[in-house]
Amino acid sequence: MALFVAKRLLMALATVLVVAVLAFLLVHAMPGSPGAVSLGAGASQDAISQLNQQLGWNDPLFTQFFRWLGDAVQGNLGNSLIDGRSVSADLASRLPVTASLAAGATILSAILGIALGVTAAVRGGLLDQAIGGFVGLLVALPAFWVGIIFVYLFAVQSSIFPATGYVPFEVSPQDWAMSLALPVITLAVGGAAFIARQTRASMLEALQQEHIRTLRATATPTWKILYVHALRYASLPIVAGIALQFIGLFGGSVIAEQLFAMPGLGQAVQSSVSTHDAPAVQGVVVIATVVVVAVNLVLELATKFLDPKLRAS
Amino acid sequence: MIPTVAPAPADADQAGSTTAAGAPVPGAGKAVLARFSKHRLFASPGAVAGLVWLAALVIASLTAPLWLPFKTEDQDFTAVLSGPTAAHWLGTDELGRDILSRIFAAAAGTLGTSMITVIVGVGLGTILAMAAAGAGERTEAAISRITEVMMSLPGTVIILAVIGAVGTNIPMVMAILGILMSAGIYRVILGQAKSLQSQLYVDAAKVDGVGPLGISVRHVLPGLANTIVVQAALIFAVGMLIQAGLAFIGFGPPIPQPSWGGMIQGASQHVYDAPWMMVPTGAVLALTVLSANAIGNALGKAPNTAAPHLPSAAARRQRAKAVAAIASAAPAAVTQDGAAKGTLSVRNLSVGVDSTGAGSGVRLVTDVSFDVEQGTVLGLVGESGCGKTMTALSLLGLLPSGVSVTGGQILWNGRNLAATTDKAMETVRGRDIALISQEPMRALDPMFTVGYQLTATIRRLRGMGKAEAREEARNLLEKVGIVDAARILKTYPHQISGGMAQRVAIALALAGQPKLLVADEPTTALDVTVQAEILSLLRALVTDTGMSVVMVTHDLGVVADICDQVAVMYAGQVVENGRTDSILDNPRHPYTLALLAADPHANHANDMPERLATIQGQVPQPKDWPTGCRFAARCQFAGSACLEPVPLLSSGAGTGVVRCVKADQLAVEGMDWLATDVPAARAFEITPTQNPRTLQTIVEKDLA
Repeated sequence: MALFVAKRLLMALATVLVVAVLAFLLVHAMPGSPGAVSLGAGASQDAISQLNQQLGWNDPLFTQFFRWLGDAVQGNLGNSLIDGRSVSADLASRLPVTASLAAGATILSAILGIALGVTAAVRGGLLDQAIGGFVGLLVALPAFWVGIIFVYLFAVQSSIFPATGYVPFEVSPQDWAMSLALPVITLAVGGAAFIARQTRASMLEALQQEHIRTLRATATPTWKILYVHALRYASLPIVAGIALQFIGLFGGSVIAEQLFAMPGLGQAVQSSVSTHDAPAVQGVVVIATVVVVAVNLVLELATKFLDPKLRAS
Repeated sequence: MIPTVAPAPADADQAGSTTAAGAPVPGAGKAVLARFSKHRLFASPGAVAGLVWLAALVIASLTAPLWLPFKTEDQDFTAVLSGPTAAHWLGTDELGRDILSRIFAAAAGTLGTSMITVIVGVGLGTILAMAAAGAGERTEAAISRITEVMMSLPGTVIILAVIGAVGTNIPMVMAILGILMSAGIYRVILGQAKSLQSQLYVDAAKVDGVGPLGISVRHVLPGLANTIVVQAALIFAVGMLIQAGLAFIGFGPPIPQPSWGGMIQGASQHVYDAPWMMVPTGAVLALTVLSANAIGNALGKAPNTAAPHLPSAAARRQRAKAVAAIASAAPAAVTQDGAAKGTLSVRNLSVGVDSTGAGSGVRLVTDVSFDVEQGTVLGLVGESGCGKTMTALSLLGLLPSGVSVTGGQILWNGRNLAATTDKAMETVRGRDIALISQEPMRALDPMFTVGYQLTATIRRLRGMGKAEAREEARNLLEKVGIVDAARILKTYPHQISGGMAQRVAIALALAGQPKLLVADEPTTALDVTVQAEILSLLRALVTDTGMSVVMVTHDLGVVADICDQVAVMYAGQVVENGRTDSILDNPRHPYTLALLAADPHANHANDMPERLATIQGQVPQPKDWPTGCRFAARCQFAGSACLEPVPLLSSGAGTGVVRCVKADQLAVEGMDWLATDVPAARAFEITPTQNPRTLQTIVEKDLA
C-alpha cells in the first residue's frame, strides 16, 4: 500500500511537471512578446525590446523555464503583464471561488446521481425507463444553456437566488451559499446525469454477481443486500466516476464563472488568454492542474482503500 | 467542461461481445438490406429519430443559401428581439437578424468541425489501443500511463491555453481536443482489442506469418468496428457541446459569423428583456447532441446482459403475481396431509421463461417429480442444459430473473414452496433449505471478510449475540475441516484457495442448521484431490446432522460416491429415477446407459472397451424439444414408438421409474450402448422437430 501511494504521488508530480513544460511552451508560442503585450499598442520598438530583455525573454528557453520553476516552487508565479499584480496572489484569491463551485457541484452531482442511479437499478420497470430517459436528456443539455434557463426561472421570474456575482464565505456564509446556488445547480445537472448512469450500471453489475444469490440463500433482507452488499460492491466504480466528474466540473467552472460573473480561476483563464497575459496563463494552467491532480489522487486512493484486494496487498 | 468521456459502463459491456461485429455479412442485395433494417439501430425509435434529425440538419445546412429566408447578416431594425412571427419563424436577435437563418447557416460548420474531434480522437484512441494490444505488456503499460496522465488533466483549461497560443483557429482547437479525448477512447477500446488479439484465429494468423500491422488491420479492427462507431457518436456529441461552450465564452468564429454557442451567449445578454431568444438555438443544440447520443447508445446497447440475482422491484412484483397464480392453481389443503418432517416432494414441477421478454413461454423444466427422504442424498444427473440447476434453484425460490415456476408443487414438510411468496421464502432459506454453489470464489462476497459474512448470517438465522455468533463461526469452520479457523475468519475471500472457499461456503450454508442442502455441482470447479475431500465432508455432514442433500452433478463418480437416489434428467425431464445401486448396476433408460458407457471411471479396467462411447449430437435447445421422446434424436435404439409422448413407467426395481417405451425390450435383449461408428449419428440427422423423412428412417429401422 505504501509503495502504491508513493508511486501515485510520483505520477502526480510528473503530471504537474509535464503540464508545466507544456504551459511554458504554449505561452512561448503565443503571438507577441511580453514587452509588446505589457506596453500596449502605442509602444516603441526600443521600449519593447528593452522590457523583453529585462524580463529575460531573450534568454535560452531552458534558463527561462528553470527560473520560472524555481520561483514557482517558492510560490511566486510572476507578475501579470497587464496590471503588474502578482499572479500568485491573484490566483490565491480566485481559487476559493472555483473550489467552492467545483466541490459543491461534485457533491451535489454525487448525491443526486447516486440516488437516481440506485433507484433506477433497484426499482426497474417503468421507473427505470423514465429515469433513463430523463438522464439521457440531462446529458445532452449544454450547461451554459441550462444556466441561462435557471437564471431566467430563479433570478428573473422569481428572485430566489441572485443572478450573478460571488460573496466570499468570510463576508457572509448565507450570501455565499446563495451566490453559489445557481452555478452549482447548473453544473450539477450534467454531472448528476453522468454519475447516475455510472451508478445504475455498477449497481446492475453488482446485482449480477453470484454472491448476491448466496446472500439471498441465507435469508439476507432485501434492503441489506441492496444497500450494504451491492452498493458496497458498486462503490469502487462509482467513486472512480465521481473523480472523473470532478475534473470535468472543474473545467466546466470556466463557463459557469463566465455566465454568473464569478471571480474564479475560469474567468482568469478566459481573460488572460484573451489579453495574451503569458505569466497569468501559465500560472493558472499549472494551478488548475495541481488542484485537479491532487483531488484526483485523493479520490483514487479512496477507491483503492475501498477495495479489499488492494488494501491487503 | 471537457466531459470525462466516461464510457458509460453499459457501452463497456458490449466491448466483450465481439462476435456479432466480427461476423462476415453473408449474401448480398436483399439479404443485406433485410439484415440492415433489422439492425439494432433501427430497433430504437430514439436512434431513428436522431438519424433523421441529423440528416435533415446536414442537408438543410448545406443547402441553406438556396432556401433560407434571410441572409445571416441581414438586419431588420423594425423587428429587433422579436419572438416568432410570420416573417421570422424563430424570432430575431438584438440586431434584428433572423434566428432560424443563423441556426441553419451555423449548423454545417458546427457539425463539420466536431467531426474533426471525432476523427482525431477516435482515430488516435483506436490506433493507440491496437498498438498497446498488439505490442506486448511494456508498450501497453507505457501507453496506459500516458493516457492516465491525459485523463487527469483539466482539459478545458489546457484547451484555452492552446487558444491563447494558436488563436481561435477552430479546426486546430478541435483537433487538439480530439487528442485530449483519445485517452478516454483508448481506455474503452483497449480491453476489447486485447481480447480480439488473444483469439485463436489471431494466433493462427501469426503462425501463418501475418505481420503485426496486418493482424491489427485485418483481424482486430473489424471486431472493433461497432465500438468505434459508438464512441464516434458519443464524441461527436461531446465535441459539439465543447465547441458551443468555447463560442459561448468568446472563443468562437469571428464575430459576424453565426455560431450556436455565440448565439446563446448573445441570448444570455437579453435574458431580462427577450427570454425567447435563448430557446431556439439551445433547443437545436440540445436536440442535435441528443440525436448523436441516441445513436451511440442504441448501437452500444449490450445485446444480452446477465440477469441479476436479485430481481428489480418491478420484476419481483411480477414474480409475486406468478406465485399467486401457482398458489390458486394448487389448493393448499391437498398438500397438508401425510407430510413427514424433513421430506421434500417435488410433484410435476415445471419451470419456464416468463411471458415478457425474449424467449417468452419456453419451458426449461417439465413435469419433474422426485422425493428426498430425511437424511438421504438425491443426485440430479445429466448433461449441461438439462434443467438440473433450474430444478435445484427452484427449491429455494432463487430462479434467475425472467424464469419462474409455471406449474406443479414443491412440497417441503407439506408446504408448497412453489406457491410461497419471496418474502415468506426468507423464513425457509438458510434455516430449512440451504444452498452451496459451483464457484465458491464467486459465491462469497469479495468486499467482506469471511468472519463478517459468517457471523452476520449466524446472527440473523440463529438470533445469536455478536460474541456468541463469533464463537459459533469458529466452530462451524472447524466443523468443515478448517484448522486455523481464527485466521480464516479475518481473511477476505480472495486470500484463500478454492477448496478453502468451498469449505467456507459450506459453513455459511450450515449457519442456519438447515434440514436440506441444495448443492449445485459443489466440486466441479475444484481440483480432483480437493473434490474428494469436499465429498467426504458432505458425506460426514449427512451422517452427523441427519440433513438431506439434493446434489446436482454431471459426474457419475460423485453419484456413486454419495447419492442414495438418482434422478437422471434429460432435456428438462426426469428420464430415470431410482436407487443409486440399481440404476448404476442396471440402467434402464438408454440415456443412463449411454452416460455410463461414456464415463471412463464407470467402466472396469478388465472390460474397458477399446473406445469410450460417446453420445452423438447435443441436448436440444428448450424451444426445440419434441413432443415425443426427447432423447430419440440421439438414441441408438429409437423406433417409431418413440415419436409419441412417453410416460414415466415403473422400472421394475422398487419404486424406480423410467421414461422409455423400449426399456423392457432393451432389458430383455441386454443391449449395450455402442462405442464406435454409431449408426444413429448418420441415420438421425434430425432436428427434434419431426419431419416426414425422420419418421421414415425410424420406421425403416424398426423393421430392420
